Amino acid sequence: MNAPPTFESFLLYDGEKKIIKEQDSKVPNAAIFTVNKEDHTLGNMIRNQLLKDPQVLFAGYKLPHPLEHKFVIRIQTTSDYTPHEAFMHAITDLIAELSLFEERFKEAIKEKKDGLD
Amino acid sequence: MQKGDSSRIILEEYAISNAVEHSIVQEGEPWSIEKFAENLKVEIIREGDNGRELEFDLIGCAPALANAFRRILLSEVPSMAIEKVFIRNNTSLIQDEVLAHRLGLLPLRADPRLFEYPALPVSEDEDASDQDTLRYELKVTCSLNPHPRKDSRRPEDIYINDNVYSRDVKWVPLGQQAEIYPKGEEQLGVLESDILICKMRPGQEIHAFMHAVKGIGKDHAKFSPVATATYRMLPEIKLTKPVKGEMAERLKGCFSPGVIEIVRDKKNGPDDREARVKNARYDSCSRNVFRHNDLKECVQLTRVPDHFIFTIESLGALPPAVLFLEAVKTLKAKCRTFIEEIDNIA
Repeated sequence: MNAPPTFESFLLYDGEKKIIKEQDSKVPNAAIFTVNKEDHTLGNMIRNQLLKDPQVLFAGYKLPHPLEHKFVIRIQTTSDYTPHEAFMHAITDLIAELSLFEERFKEAIKEKKDGLD
Repeated sequence: MQKGDSSRIILEEYAISNAVEHSIVQEGEPWSIEKFAENLKVEIIREGDNGRELEFDLIGCAPALANAFRRILLSEVPSMAIEKVFIRNNTSLIQDEVLAHRLGLLPLRADPRLFEYPALPVSEDEDASDQDTLRYELKVTCSLNPHPRKDSRRPEDIYINDNVYSRDVKWVPLGQQAEIYPKGEEQLGVLESDILICKMRPGQEIHAFMHAVKGIGKDHAKFSPVATATYRMLPEIKLTKPVKGEMAERLKGCFSPGVIEIVRDKKNGPDDREARVKNARYDSCSRNVFRHNDLKECVQLTRVPDHFIFTIESLGALPPAVLFLEAVKTLKAKCRTFIEEIDNIA
């Protein structure tokens, strides 16, 4: 059988990089990041966060092929900012958001429990 | 609410007229975590009687985040499942590989947080570490019942063990596990006792050992900790004109039960029925009203774009609330590795 191993979709190969950055040569302040072994879950989430940043001029992601486990995200920023920084900020913001979710959810669960007692 | 209200997604007869406005991030004030914290609300709505179901509202977040939680719950929150089956004897009608597959799908009670991920590929030999593996045994032999009930021809009366159920799968301690988990069978056994694995006739036997490991749903659906995890936007129904009499009854019939109520008011004359929106939350948004030309003028169906009704149905190994927190943790861990990686490529 020639089925690819099932862990191919989430385990990096030996020596494979998680994120590869490529500068876009046609437009200033633009870069293309290739993220291996991730899909729409993070792709859409990060793109969505990037679009909230007023200094990001363009952010878009795609999955080049359904059998290749990676996504590509292109970021273009204003001249006083780099795509690299934008990416970094987006992810730190996401972590902050997720922490907030965790906190609020725990509170809500606690409230529900206290309400029952 | 007028037609151009951008705070709602408007469901019309043939289209969602303002879908484009909601497919991109809204313009407005620049995003800040303080602003986000102010708007974000989480409300627990309902917990299932058996503790396996949870319905809660996420208010004030982007669909991308809600979807990320759903996807992570389905495919990246770990759980334990049988991965290797060592068949000693199988003379039943079910072939070894089919039997192995059926055993693999049995939901287990074990808490995945207590175990490590196995080294990949999962080892083929039978000695495994007690840190990452759980061992189970299934040994059933079918025989004739020596004291059958008189005149009965039912298989369950004349045979013993003619049905193999999941309760026949027994946990076997590995290494130190007997000491670590004194209540092993209750803590690590099979979740449901009455799953039919196979049927047998006298003389047939199944004897197999199984190794369960920790894994994620991306690898195989058996590792998914949830039965379903879904979200939908909160529906909102507005009556733009009063709906009375026979029309009120028809309007009620167009929506899910409990959505529209009929109130009686003496002031309305002899036919005193009038329709009111009671609770739009559980409407299926079937848009059935649009089939009635007179009724469709009277209602406006909308959805609240940043209000998500999230439902998690756990398989039972972990309560749904814990699963959601695990999902958030998994996402956060992913983001952290991203930060490290981006630092490296700079």
